[in-house]
Amino acid sequence: MIHNVVRSAVYFVVCIAIQILVLNNIHFLRVAIPFFYLYFIIKIPLGYSRSYILILSFITGLIIDAFSNTPGMHTAACTLAGFAREPLIQFFIGKDLPHDTFPSYKSFGYGGFIRYVVTFVSIHHIALYLLESITLFDPLLIFIRIVASVLMTSILICAVEAFNLETQKSGE
Amino acid sequence: MRQLLDFLVRKRHWILFILLEILSLMLIYQNNAYQRSVIISSANIVTGSIASASGFFTSYFGLRSENQELLEHNGQLEMQVLALQNELAVLTGDSTKFTGYSPDQDYIFSYDFIRASVVNNSVTNLANYITINKGRKDGIQPDMGVVSDQGVVGIVSNVSDHYAVIISLLNPKLRLSGLIKGNFFGSINWNGRNPCYVNLDEVARHADFQRGDTVVTSGYSSIFPAGIVIGTISDSRRQQDDNFLSLEVELATDFYSLKNVRVIRNFNQSEQLKIEQEAKGNDS
Repeated sequence: MIHNVVRSAVYFVVCIAIQILVLNNIHFLRVAIPFFYLYFIIKIPLGYSRSYILILSFITGLIIDAFSNTPGMHTAACTLAGFAREPLIQFFIGKDLPHDTFPSYKSFGYGGFIRYVVTFVSIHHIALYLLESITLFDPLLIFIRIVASVLMTSILICAVEAFNLETQKSGE
Repeated sequence: MRQLLDFLVRKRHWILFILLEILSLMLIYQNNAYQRSVIISSANIVTGSIASASGFFTSYFGLRSENQELLEHNGQLEMQVLALQNELAVLTGDSTKFTGYSPDQDYIFSYDFIRASVVNNSVTNLANYITINKGRKDGIQPDMGVVSDQGVVGIVSNVSDHYAVIISLLNPKLRLSGLIKGNFFGSINWNGRNPCYVNLDEVARHADFQRGDTVVTSGYSSIFPAGIVIGTISDSRRQQDDNFLSLEVELATDFYSLKNVRVIRNFNQSEQLKIEQEAKGNDS
């Protein structure tokens, strides 16, 4: 249990640091921005109450908002995605996994994990960009931005997961 | 009663979810105004100091090109000084041969600069903001104009003790009037697509201009002095209502590599605003 808390804290700090220090400056072909910090919420172990995950994702969003000057947008999108996490896992994985299992290629299977990541990221990005479009509404631009960013974030998260030494070592 | 409590406990994550969403939507709503709160922005002390620490490292990138630009800028200024010295020498050298008019010595240039470094900058969002490392204690107030060595950057929107957040030109909330050489006005705004271009809308149909003409600030708003470069005209087309032209302006400022800016302080700003308010008050 203690091990899990420390581990989550490390994930939390590393993901947010990477996001605000490096990835917030990336604007691939002027449309795609990777939101890698979602990896933290994706990797929260199974078996925690939904309220706990909701509060964690709310705080994550709030911190990202504070650093990127977008008050409320990431918070709202993150809370929605955190709320949808449990039903998504139920839907894609179905079978009951033991508590404290970390979502990974091994525990979910390759197809399952990728489907889970892509849907999770899509929910977050659609919410985020629609909220952002309050300031400027341009349907085609928003659509392109959503698709490009979902692709970029999903690819990044799947790639990092594949090279995540910790997952391979503990052999989950 | 028991059943109701049971229901509430069972569905507590729904209640929490709705509560948190309402909270975040309130945040969005509150901060969509022109003046925003400082607490959840990169101008508070924690986010500001982390951002300036990372800005300290990234400021070493691109030193060579920055140096080059400064040299060029320096050269131009030197040329101007020489030209002005020449003029001065003509005016003061021989009073019997005086031909021009002597400038009014009572006139005081009412602007001065506060130098600042960018600690946080975004070009990726639809509404972009820039954070700088100077704040209220350095004399920065909301509604001051901000320029770089190349041209206009934006307007200060909110200020904490040591940091300030600037609404960048790349933000639909920013309204600025631009002037084409030859006295045609338009309003500058960004369409969210490309951080290198803005639009100059509401230009009169009969405006006379060419591609490559410079667009400068008009100096009417008391935020910027007249004649600061915004960019150059790169394309033109008719606006939808057909009465005005909409020009595409290539920005002089490179927002991708913005590092040092100057905040413009106008000593007469409050006076001008006051008299404008009075004039508007007379209307109604």
